[in-house]
Amino acid sequence: MTMLKIENLHVRVAGKEILKGLSLEVKSGEVHAIMGPNGAGKSTLGYVLAGRDGYEATQGRIEYDGRNLLDLEPEARAAAGMFLAFQYPVEIPGVNNTYFLKAALNAQRKARGESELDSMQFLKLVREKLAVLHLKEDLLNRAVNAGFSGGEKKRNEIFQMALLEPKLAILDETDSGLDIDALKMVADGVNAMRAPDRAFLVITHYQRLLDYIVPDFVHVLADGRIVESGDASLALRLEEHGYAWIAQRKLAGAA
Amino acid sequence: MDGLLDEFGSGDAQARAESWRYSRQALRALEQQEFKGADGKATVPRELIERFDWPQTRGHRLVFVNGVLDAALSDASTSGAILETAADGAHTLRFAGKGAMHLVFANVATATPARWNAAVHVRVDSGKAFLVEQHVGTQGADVLGALASQFTIADGANLQTATLGDLPGSASLVRRVEATIGAGSAFGATHALCGGRFQRFDIDAQLAGARAQIAARGVFALRGREHVDVHLDVRHAARDTASDVLWRGVADGRARGILHGAIAVAPGADGADARLQTKNLLLSPHAEIDAQPVLEIYADEVKASHGATVGQLDERALFYLRSRGVPLAAARNLLIAGFCREAFARIEATDLRGPFEALLDAHLPQQQQASE
Ligand SMILES: Nc1ncnc2c1ncn2[C@@H]1O[C@H](COP(=O)(O)OP(=O)(O)OP(=O)(O)O)[C@@H](O)[C@H]1O
Ligand SMILES: [Mg+2]
Repeated sequence: MTMLKIENLHVRVAGKEILKGLSLEVKSGEVHAIMGPNGAGKSTLGYVLAGRDGYEATQGRIEYDGRNLLDLEPEARAAAGMFLAFQYPVEIPGVNNTYFLKAALNAQRKARGESELDSMQFLKLVREKLAVLHLKEDLLNRAVNAGFSGGEKKRNEIFQMALLEPKLAILDETDSGLDIDALKMVADGVNAMRAPDRAFLVITHYQRLLDYIVPDFVHVLADGRIVESGDASLALRLEEHGYAWIAQRKLAGAA
Repeated sequence: MDGLLDEFGSGDAQARAESWRYSRQALRALEQQEFKGADGKATVPRELIERFDWPQTRGHRLVFVNGVLDAALSDASTSGAILETAADGAHTLRFAGKGAMHLVFANVATATPARWNAAVHVRVDSGKAFLVEQHVGTQGADVLGALASQFTIADGANLQTATLGDLPGSASLVRRVEATIGAGSAFGATHALCGGRFQRFDIDAQLAGARAQIAARGVFALRGREHVDVHLDVRHAARDTASDVLWRGVADGRARGILHGAIAVAPGADGADARLQTKNLLLSPHAEIDAQPVLEIYADEVKASHGATVGQLDERALFYLRSRGVPLAAARNLLIAGFCREAFARIEATDLRGPFEALLDAHLPQQQQASE
């Protein structure tokens, strides 16, 4: 079943066109990897899907779960199962991590018409998810991401994903800055969540992550468009030849 | 014509004018009203008593009604302090060893605009004293209160104060603290200033002895037409002294906040460590906050840092919270409360964080949930 369908999407940020006719279809249960050079528009795609202000779709459409995604506020998208693990998680001093997560989970549950969790139920859930990611419980008593190391921030993103159990999770370079062990933990966390009714968009620069999270499809995003799609082997070829190889092939194909 | 300015200002004419320049209008408006002497025997309504009758401070509480000590409402039997009242009505609280006191200033509105003056001298001769100062009031005819305090902290002693300014829109308060901090002693002052028609807070602190320390922290959270003017003046007058000033300001509506933080390191006060940081949040295009850090250094080997920012809610943080499902209004409230809470992070008496947070929660400019 199609979960996400992006057609000819054009997005403007600060007066500049960043996405220039991007199309992509993701079905439930699939894992799609998105690779591509710096500045290609990968994070922009993540932000547009999550609903960040200032990311204006000027053309095209995004259908998510049968609805027009662009009509929804960010919080409504979250309640509908959208989750973005940020490339640069935001530090929020003064806002307690546990308090924030409980507010987030219960707001989502309320929006979906589900019962809210009380403190005991919430803590039980938190402990289960922490164990999977080997995160220390004291991170929860601190302010959101404040003073977290780079790796802790990334693991905290995946922890949030595990807790919120989204339908479509976008991981924006979650592997960058992780040591080998943390990378495995993150991959384990993702793999444990793979399910027929859930899909992942994994943005990465490195083939290494895809050894652990084996994608069904790999796409190359360059200059605001998907320029190449293939299976997991595409990532291996990219690793070997670099992005210039794609550009050359396109030229050869056009000639 | 400068009646109130002459009364409340200090220093020469130029210094007074400079120090009050953001609040001259507010003073003039008060000058145009006719104030009678406030009734120190006014009956304190039950609802007001409930605001300060905290179980944990029974037995060490003094209640001033319109500036006059109310014996019936006060009980200082377990405070560890000695109270003396001079012929001119000034009170002296003397602590030696461990002690605590909850000072309540109740502004009870009567039929006509009224004003009161009070003076409290706190001496900590030894040991550690905790002081909670709470300003509350009833809405009604205007009340203008003026409280002059002296804190004298002897060598090696410690005074921790927490001030809760929680005033109705008809009350104005001018409060001035002069603090002298002796060798090896510490003064910690935390404030939450909310509400009121006009509030002016001055702390004038002298780090008089070697290794004396001051930590002055606080928040003002303003809305409507509230106007709060805070002046923190710290003077390092001895060697190896330390000051740490941290302030948070939030203003919504047409509110006006002023934080003037000045740290001076006098000649000879070598090895001083002076820190001054203020961050402010404007929630409305009509609100205004003036944050002025001033650092004057005349000594050697001084470590000093200062910073002042005035900004808006962090759009990235707001989006982060919303992307996790927190609705816009709730996300804004979380960020505003979190921003203020940083000022209370180091309150020593942890049981005081509750009242501070409750006061803020009641006064933070609440972002209404969009109706569905
Ligand atoms: N607010 C902004 N103002 C101006 N330009 C922007 C803004 N946000 C993004 N851009 C530009 O949009 C382009 C795409 O940025 P984006 O972050 O989506 O790239 P990316 O593919 O994620 O790159 P990376 O691999 O380095 O993370 C870049 O050229 C970037 O400079
Ligand atoms: Mg990026």
